Amino acid sequence: MRNIVRWGVALAVLGMVSFAQAAELKSIAILTPEPGTDYGWNQQGVAAAKAAGAAAGVEVLIADNLGYGDVRPTLRELAQDGAGLLIAHASGYNTAAPEIGAEMKVPVAIVDMPSARKPGAVADYTASGHEGAYLAGRLAAKMSTTGTVGIVVSGEPPSWNAQSSAFAEGARAEKPGITVRYAVIGPAAYSDAAGGKRVTEALIAAGADIIFGQGNGSSFGMLQAVETAKATNGGKVYFIDVIGDKTAIDRGNLLSSVVWNLTPVYSAMIADVRAGTYGSRNYDINLADGSVALLKTAHIPDEVWAQIEALKKDIVDGRIKVTAHYDADTVHKLVTQLPAAP
Amino acid sequence: MSTLFTEPFFTALVLGALTAGLPLLLAGLGEQISEKAGVLNIGIEGMMLAGAYGGFLVAYHTGSIWLGYLGGALGGMAVATPMAVLCIRLGLSQIVIGMALTLGAEGTTALLHHFQFAQSYPRLPAVATLAIPGLSAIPVIGPALFDRPPIVYLAILAVFLTAYVFRSTHLGLALQAAGDKPEALDAAGVDVVRLRSLAVLATGCLAGVGGAFMAEVGAGIFVPFMTNGAGFIGIVLAMQARGRPFGVLWGALLFGACLSAATALQVAGVSIPTDVVQMLPFVAVLAVLVLLGRKASLPPALGVHYVRGGR
Repeated sequence: MRNIVRWGVALAVLGMVSFAQAAELKSIAILTPEPGTDYGWNQQGVAAAKAAGAAAGVEVLIADNLGYGDVRPTLRELAQDGAGLLIAHASGYNTAAPEIGAEMKVPVAIVDMPSARKPGAVADYTASGHEGAYLAGRLAAKMSTTGTVGIVVSGEPPSWNAQSSAFAEGARAEKPGITVRYAVIGPAAYSDAAGGKRVTEALIAAGADIIFGQGNGSSFGMLQAVETAKATNGGKVYFIDVIGDKTAIDRGNLLSSVVWNLTPVYSAMIADVRAGTYGSRNYDINLADGSVALLKTAHIPDEVWAQIEALKKDIVDGRIKVTAHYDADTVHKLVTQLPAAP
Repeated sequence: MSTLFTEPFFTALVLGALTAGLPLLLAGLGEQISEKAGVLNIGIEGMMLAGAYGGFLVAYHTGSIWLGYLGGALGGMAVATPMAVLCIRLGLSQIVIGMALTLGAEGTTALLHHFQFAQSYPRLPAVATLAIPGLSAIPVIGPALFDRPPIVYLAILAVFLTAYVFRSTHLGLALQAAGDKPEALDAAGVDVVRLRSLAVLATGCLAGVGGAFMAEVGAGIFVPFMTNGAGFIGIVLAMQARGRPFGVLWGALLFGACLSAATALQVAGVSIPTDVVQMLPFVAVLAVLVLLGRKASLPPALGVHYVRGGR
């Protein structure tokens, strides 16, 4: 009986220490597979972590360009260096991160696995800019001169599926007769720039004059394709990017981007860790709070942009409901069911 | 659907097959030379990546696509050199060193890219092509196969040249002997270590040019990890070709064609799960490996370190 009491007291003390540690969060870490300067997924993750860390007064440890292999040693090192939250910014890390998080007793954030949420230990941020992608679809349909738009993806993670389906729905809502072509570069071809260019060229040859591209390093191949190819009607081909803003490297073909801002997500995570409520919920982004936005470029005429702004207001106000479809099957059905161009 | 199957679309698919297949061809040919000489060159993925980086770097700074290929060859050979020293001269495990070199090349090129290009992401202009009179006018395949950058024709010529060297020259016989019975070659007065080292450097050169092609022509840009496993596909192609360069050519084109077919099926909206469609190239290569590779006889001394007088 005495031993039971002793163990009970010990566990209670440990629990108090755990909450104390949560309250004293001094640093967080983010791990990304590609450089934090890719004008996309990785850059957004690193920039948002820095911003959230600065706002909360915590140090941010950055481990970028780690590739898609085993990141367990890096996770351990970051935990040993004092990171009180490990943000595993790649779907390929969502097995290793919870494992090492449990081993090192550090909460982890993962993507593309909402069901893995575990109070005090794991939270998911399968963020999706589907509302922005819907607007991008409306914009693409308004701007297309061939009547065909294309979607190129370097994989089919849930957040991209949600954006692909929303883009297709947006395009169809704008022009019911529009044709949407869809192709995946390859299995997890996130850095396959040559594949991105090859597949994008095929879609352009199939009539698409606006490409909605989702890829990390591969998106630069898509960009190269739209810069070097002509549409089937001889016109210019435009590119709509996701997550980041490639305006700085645009050569005249970047029409827009579904820009994400993960800062509110990471700020909420930090707050939850400090409050001891981490893992009680997952995280998302949306148009209403500005964590998702459609990029305005000089290639979008003002009158078209005004229409897009009006549509955005309709979404925020709930007059247009955009549903996130995270599974690939729904994307395929949506794309194949679209009526052919007249 | 009918509006999809136009001449430009089919041309794009054929062109895509060729563009995807060519780096595999060069890597596969290089691997075949190494294996012929008895060296299992697992580091070829790293050689391709170094070639992609070197090729892009030189082409971007000089504006010369040809100097870019030279940069790619040197990049590939830079990774091949430690392979030759550590495995052929010092006798370390070819598999372990090959994997280490690939990982090292991935990290090094990613780091160099980070410091040089990560803010600007420069792209190369479209590469000039050389149209073969008459043939380039053939509908669909003409523009895709006979109006290509000259490196494409040279790569095809390299297949003929490699086949000739393997079959009809003393060098080819010496390479064969280095993989089959190195002690006999040594007894004949040929330096086995030197020959194997040269074979590995030749592999680095070809794989590097393949990587450079991928960066300069295939993508027009270098991004980290962009070879995406192409080197490992090259190893499979070399093995299924049973020492025949033309086998590598057909395998590379088959793989490229399957990639294009996969794209066509998706663009056409065929209701097949993407994973199944994406498996097509790999299943095709595996099928060829099973059907044609059954009679494959790898060199008896493949992967075995040669020591004069050793047993």
